[in-house]
Amino acid sequence: MPENPADPKRIDASPTKEFFIYMLTRDIPLTRAILDLVDNSLDGARRMRPNGDFDGLWVRAELDKDHFKIADNCGGIPVDIARHYAFRFGRSKDAPLTPGSVGQFGVGMKRTFFKLGRHFSVHSVTSSSRFNMDIDVAQWMALDESEKADEWHFEFQNIEDKLIDVPKNEVGTRLEVTQLYDTVGESFGLENFLTRLKQEMSLAHSISMDKGLAITVNTIPLRHEPQTLFESDQMKPAFIERTYQGELLNGKPDARVNVKLYAGVAERSLHDGGWYVFCNGRMVIRADQTSTTIWGQTHGMRQYHPDVAYFRGYAYFDSDDAGLLPWTTTKTGVDIDSAVYKSAQLEMVEISKPVLTFLSNLAKEKAAIESGDIGDSTLEEAIHSAEAKRTDSLAVTRVFVAPQPRPRPPGPRMARIQYSKPLTEVEKAKELLDVHTFTAVGEKTFEYFMHYEEKQ
Amino acid sequence: MASSYRRINYSVRPAKAIERKMLCDAFRRLSPFAKVATYRYLGFGSIYFTDFHLFHRALGMEDMLSMEKDADAEECFLFNKPYNCVRLDCRPASAVLPELDWRAKSIVWLDYDGKLDETVLSDISTVAARSYSGSVLVISVNAHVEGQPNETVRQQYKAETGLAFDLDAYRLRELHNRVGEALPPEVLGSELRGGGLARISRKLIDNRIEETLSDRNGLLPSEKKMLYRQILNFNYSDGARMLTVGGILFEAGDFEKFEACSFNELDFIRFGEEAYAIDVPCLTMKEMRHLNAQLPEAEAAALSLPGVSTSDIRRYAELYRYFPTFTEAIFT
Repeated sequence: MPENPADPKRIDASPTKEFFIYMLTRDIPLTRAILDLVDNSLDGARRMRPNGDFDGLWVRAELDKDHFKIADNCGGIPVDIARHYAFRFGRSKDAPLTPGSVGQFGVGMKRTFFKLGRHFSVHSVTSSSRFNMDIDVAQWMALDESEKADEWHFEFQNIEDKLIDVPKNEVGTRLEVTQLYDTVGESFGLENFLTRLKQEMSLAHSISMDKGLAITVNTIPLRHEPQTLFESDQMKPAFIERTYQGELLNGKPDARVNVKLYAGVAERSLHDGGWYVFCNGRMVIRADQTSTTIWGQTHGMRQYHPDVAYFRGYAYFDSDDAGLLPWTTTKTGVDIDSAVYKSAQLEMVEISKPVLTFLSNLAKEKAAIESGDIGDSTLEEAIHSAEAKRTDSLAVTRVFVAPQPRPRPPGPRMARIQYSKPLTEVEKAKELLDVHTFTAVGEKTFEYFMHYEEKQ
Repeated sequence: MASSYRRINYSVRPAKAIERKMLCDAFRRLSPFAKVATYRYLGFGSIYFTDFHLFHRALGMEDMLSMEKDADAEECFLFNKPYNCVRLDCRPASAVLPELDWRAKSIVWLDYDGKLDETVLSDISTVAARSYSGSVLVISVNAHVEGQPNETVRQQYKAETGLAFDLDAYRLRELHNRVGEALPPEVLGSELRGGGLARISRKLIDNRIEETLSDRNGLLPSEKKMLYRQILNFNYSDGARMLTVGGILFEAGDFEKFEACSFNELDFIRFGEEAYAIDVPCLTMKEMRHLNAQLPEAEAAALSLPGVSTSDIRRYAELYRYFPTFTEAIFT
């Protein structure tokens, strides 16, 4: 940057292209960068179908060690949006709002291009326009060193606007990246990378897929599993809904964020237990078992542990203004300092407590049955007789409902004794006592001892 | 369908014996890399050490290490150790493999009894991450998909998932529990039926090796990049369905040596997904001698043996050079 001799007090704080190309791209894992492009398609789908019925819409990703391509039929990018907003670094404050949008930061698509390779192209067709863009990253960067140092624009190759009669089957967006970076191409050639990508995609976009969006990766259609919780006559998951609104959110009086929280039990899985967080239908946290949600001392809670592997919590944050939601720009986590999130987090902790108490009682019940203190497993039965139901079809209550543990049966309190002795000696004792089990050896020898010692 | 005595010879594990000899034939071809006798052999000898016997006697291997996870029976394994050159490490492979010095060409046969799981995949990673160019990695796992489980297991499935019992879903869940995230999400439970589990197990092994090598190769110059070429893909059943898959790990610069091994000259070599099925006909000694006298013969149809189906004869003609005899089964 040339010095500005006219104003010696001026300090240059303008961003460099290198920052966007080499620095920002480090913050996002490769799989997540690709998910960001699906988010762009989804925003197209939302502009096209504000009612959220995505039936017939598709996103197709194709990748191998030399190419990356993603295409959709989700309406295309209008020329005006492309010209003024979609390719700007950072979202401008007068950009038109896509209600319920998932691409909000004005960084996702560009960051992904720069992360993947040295050359990218965008081909978009809407019902009334068409454009092509073809960018060589090295050339674009070279502008930096010329006199055009502050040139940050891209250029359309072709552009047609105000068209009529664009065939419907042409409408959509196609993004391609070539000259992939070596490490990127290497990953794209690995089956295990594709497996991870597919898994993350079906998790992150499960709600949109549930609304009919079809996603394929290298022609393989992704499946999704809706979020479920166990429900029965005796067991009902907890549900809380909160709406945060007002000027405090972003200075606008009609700002609003809606939060739905569910907590209950589902399939026992150490790996899958925990909290799941969604922003405008996009999963940003999967099976959290850390203080980011509710676990550990910070929240006055125990750490996540195997006894609570049945636990599931789902938090859905929704807003017409996606900027109000507590996600991070990489959509791999939440902004834990956001006021909306902090407030919801308190509720998440509270709604979880009765579920965790139930699971702790369940563990105690199991231990009591093993030690012979009680005979019937009321709590376990409650889980056995429940059925997995989708969260959107649950009969919920404000507070988690489940059977209480049975009071301890009448009679003296019992204690359990355990010790080890050489097998040959125990076998001998078995013979002498004329019993068949080790438990009986323990009980008989104890009774024998008490019989003689108590008399004295 | 043939009578049961024509299907399984219950007294021995013939397919396993045949496989072992085929492996031996394949290893013999490693000479472009180095004399096979100078390779190190790493295996699971159990108390029989059958593989150690064979590779010592047939290939002249002397640097041999048996890994044995059952540390309690060390005395018994030591007693049964057939040769002075066989060393024994009574720890699981997952403990032994990471501690070895890998600057020697090795033939590693991870011959597990159980099904493919995360521990197996992790052992595979260790070998793929460390092996010297020209080494061989062979993995055997049980690939017999679960049958209909009993009522208790079905109840437990229902309790844990909240879903009605379904055999395909149960099998998929069991597989997922064993291998975790490595399982591609598009795999369906119904694909595991029959030979499906073997097919998917091979795929998972292959994916793991490729991924490990990709990480290993990241910063290496192109001629030093380690490649894996599968040469073995056996399916057989001595009761339970088994999968044996394996290949050569070599640096790209050694590609000509790999080519010079001419593995493709062996009938049972398989470079891809399609497996070589070791399908053992059950014949009496007299029947075998009768066929042997007519072999080798390019046209199996020209062979004659009264009372034995042509498909059994054809299978015998394919395998006869590797066929076990009872003396071997009992005295090795």
